[in-house]
Amino acid sequence: MWRACPGNRKARYVVRGEAMKKVQFNTPAIPYLLLFPQIAIVAVFFLWPAAEAVRSSFYLEDPFGFGSTFVGFDNFIDTVTSTNYARVARFTGVFTFLVTVLSLGAALLLAVKADKVLRGASSYKTLLMWVYAVAPPVAGLIGILLFDQHVGPIVKFVAMFGWHMQIGVDYYDTAFAMIIASVWKQIPVNFIFFLSGLQGISKSVQEAASIDCRSGFRRFWTVTFPLLAPTGFFLLIINITYALFDTFGIIDVVLKTEPGNNPVTLVYKVYLDGFRGNDLGGSSAQSVLLMLVVFILTIIQFRLIERRVHYT
Amino acid sequence: MAYRKTVASLVAAAALMGTSAASYAATDITWWHAMGGKLGEVVNQISTDYNASQDACSLTPVYKGGYEDTLTAGIAAFRAGEQPNIIQVFDAGAATIIGAKGAVEPVEDLLKANGVPFDIEDYIAGVRYFYADSDGKMIGMPFNSSAPILYINDDAMKKAGVEAPKTYEEFEAIAPKLKEAGYIPLVQSHLPWEFVENFKSRHDLQFATNNNGYDGATGTELVFGEPIKNHFTAAKKWLDEGLFGYYGTGWGDNQQPFNEGKVALWIGSSGSFGGIADTVDFPFSATFLPYWDAVEGANTASFIGGAALFAMSGKSDEENKCAASFFEYLTSPEVQYMWHRETGYVPVTEAAYELAKKDGHYERTPAAEVGIQQLSLPAGEWTKGYRMGFYVQIRDVMNRELGKVFSGETSVEDAFATIKADGDKLLSRFAKTIDN
Amino acid sequence: MRKLQISDHIVLLAGVFFMVTPVVLAFLTSTHDAVTIYRTGLQYSIGDQGLSAYETVLTRAGGFTKEVNGMVMLKNSMILGFGFAIGKIVISMLAAYAIVYFRFPAASFCFWVIFCTLLLPLEVRILPSYEIVQQLGMVNTYSGLIVPLIASATGTFFFRQFFLSVPDELLEAARIDGAGPWKFFIDILVPISKTMIAAIFIIMFVYGWNQYLWPTLITTDEGFFTLVRGIKQILQVWVGAQIPDYDQAMALAILAMLPPVLVVIVFQSWFIKGLVESDK
Repeated sequence: MWRACPGNRKARYVVRGEAMKKVQFNTPAIPYLLLFPQIAIVAVFFLWPAAEAVRSSFYLEDPFGFGSTFVGFDNFIDTVTSTNYARVARFTGVFTFLVTVLSLGAALLLAVKADKVLRGASSYKTLLMWVYAVAPPVAGLIGILLFDQHVGPIVKFVAMFGWHMQIGVDYYDTAFAMIIASVWKQIPVNFIFFLSGLQGISKSVQEAASIDCRSGFRRFWTVTFPLLAPTGFFLLIINITYALFDTFGIIDVVLKTEPGNNPVTLVYKVYLDGFRGNDLGGSSAQSVLLMLVVFILTIIQFRLIERRVHYT
Repeated sequence: MAYRKTVASLVAAAALMGTSAASYAATDITWWHAMGGKLGEVVNQISTDYNASQDACSLTPVYKGGYEDTLTAGIAAFRAGEQPNIIQVFDAGAATIIGAKGAVEPVEDLLKANGVPFDIEDYIAGVRYFYADSDGKMIGMPFNSSAPILYINDDAMKKAGVEAPKTYEEFEAIAPKLKEAGYIPLVQSHLPWEFVENFKSRHDLQFATNNNGYDGATGTELVFGEPIKNHFTAAKKWLDEGLFGYYGTGWGDNQQPFNEGKVALWIGSSGSFGGIADTVDFPFSATFLPYWDAVEGANTASFIGGAALFAMSGKSDEENKCAASFFEYLTSPEVQYMWHRETGYVPVTEAAYELAKKDGHYERTPAAEVGIQQLSLPAGEWTKGYRMGFYVQIRDVMNRELGKVFSGETSVEDAFATIKADGDKLLSRFAKTIDN
Repeated sequence: MRKLQISDHIVLLAGVFFMVTPVVLAFLTSTHDAVTIYRTGLQYSIGDQGLSAYETVLTRAGGFTKEVNGMVMLKNSMILGFGFAIGKIVISMLAAYAIVYFRFPAASFCFWVIFCTLLLPLEVRILPSYEIVQQLGMVNTYSGLIVPLIASATGTFFFRQFFLSVPDELLEAARIDGAGPWKFFIDILVPISKTMIAAIFIIMFVYGWNQYLWPTLITTDEGFFTLVRGIKQILQVWVGAQIPDYDQAMALAILAMLPPVLVVIVFQSWFIKGLVESDK
């Protein structure tokens, strides 16, 4: 869930050597000692498997490891030329956008309101927060019962408005259920961060603002919103990675691992082809493409922050 | 290496305290399976009984999740040299494990090498060759075997005043009456298995080149002719006229309306029998999967569905001996009959079938016999099975494209063109992984 | 002003309804029997089965070994949650301390190596990861369950960010007092990081507790099953044609969410404070 993190924001400083402490220890061996456990774990359980994935993206390999054929970029070509892959990529884009916007928007609204009300503020806070701890398969399980074709309350509810919802049959209905469940699961995280951001804005600033701007709405946009922007930007990255990767559990349960004519995301397709279908080469090629996407996203993130830092 | 053995033996020791603690150390073997819920309980029962039946071997069954999870875990374990002795692999994964020459000990060799008498003719005709190589040598031991059959809501038939159909032509004749009586006339539950693969076998139609793929992976291509396209054109028409219901790829989503009594005819698995008996409150019966009378040579046996057990290679002689001894135990008529009775899967040997008949099982529950009878129908040129790699993805392609047919996004013609194009591409990719 | 307050409450109540109803329905449903749930779906009232499903999942031994029940799974989930959170905090604090407070040539290289882990989630590299864990003989061990999950940079980033916000004067003062790296870390840095540690503990505990794909793959011995994996196991029955034990699945789901929910609620003020402080 917490794949991207606030640290990213300052990462560029390290590259340029700026944001280091003015005073530092100068003992040569100790930092390596301190870093050793983390680096060792990363090397063994991350770099090694990742290198393995890159290697196998250039091979067509018998899953049991008896034979493999070097095929150069064939796996990549097969992947990007497939019309279905294009469809999956498009859906992933739309899905990521909608989940991010909806969960950020709803959470921001709730956080602003929760920050404002006096009576019952802490009860609201608790009630809105605790869903954060619900495991994705549990969310998915409740989701499919809510959206069940035959007995789901939501399906029955929308039927009153003439919407014949069929999760698992209709591409768009399934997408709808996936998005709602994913947004539901992500609202608490965003809510917590927005609320901490709001509470971090000092009361004197808010009081000053309330004297300057009478309209609450304008006050929000001109004073509060800019102050929330750092939090919001950080959350944007967190939400994008959430929508790309961590919705896996929800999608898996909604589809009951049989995709059929239903939307899937790029990460889920890697899983389908590699884990379920044992096409190691094809699935590794897709992993490598995903790595590139995340890499580009990260660079964009740094660039944008850089610009923003100059303004402030 | 040692940790696994230790854990397994501890577990086994705990399970067998009474029987084997006093005797010498038994050889431990493991069995990774995909049987959850009630099926898993029966698997555990069989294992416990096996361990109690002898002292030399101690078997530990491990539930590894769904079929795909089990196969993938087995593959990863094999690559790391930590494979189980026995692994359950489903029909769509058969080409993967059989294609990997050296991953498994052919069950026929294993049994013969360990002095267990083996005759492929002991197995019922329908299951004999599905997990065999092109020479007819049995590689995997058929375990949970099922056939797609037609379940009938007897109340619906009575209410509409009709008889259950044997052919799709008969179905077309009675469907409007069933609809009038307030039922959804027909629902299936697994398009690739019931409407494609077994459509091929029930009509004795070629499914793929290279002898349905048995003769080698290189150059194998899917074959789709007019009959199957006509079938889907008809099904789409039924759907539009309200004579057919489609609820997506989820098995349960398609079974539920039948269980609720809203559906007159439902194509399910012979293994669905127990679950239906537990939930429905209307009388039901079962018959063979329908066929089109218009297709010449139709009404042949269906392919076996379900999964088989494979003995993985790279194990010591003692462990292989135990695997062989377990297979011998598993195929004994009594165990097969118990498995058949408890789960609804068909017995894989003639002897077990005879035992079930003699015991009066089919007089008590006639529907339980339909699956095995269907597997014993006359064989045709194309009914022994199919062998295609990356078949899980090919099924995904079928589900996707045929789903589009039913949602009106594509035509039958285009759907099959895409299935063939995407499927052939997968097949040629698979061929590169093993033939080099 | 008054009117505004009312509309605020309406928005908040709608939000609470949207967030909480599904879980309430899950609880209500868990008090009905499986066949009823199968036929009619989610339930809106307390059923006549009461809490017996909870008793069943907690105490009835299942599986081949008859050794696994809800209590065992609860214990395993606890070990996974605590082991993961504590391991992650210790390891990432040390690493962040090295990166922020020491001048050494490989600092930015190490940072980037750790940073790389954000590029590829476990789901996507699961097969090679599994193979490696298996080669190391760590299948069916708690370390095999926990350690590979620690291989992501999140904790390191949180601490790094926090350390950067700690005033430089602290270290200067400590140096004047003659404190070495170790003493500074233990006596000064750890105490002032307390709320941050609490916040990260919560995040990591919940994350570890809720894992399911990795535990499913890495534990074949029933004695190592976690609660979340248990839910998955009940649900897998769907694939076949049987009726899943919905009541037990729901009960297990509620049980599985209780501990992390309690942790979040009980420690929520620390949690929020930790996040506020880290975001300077």
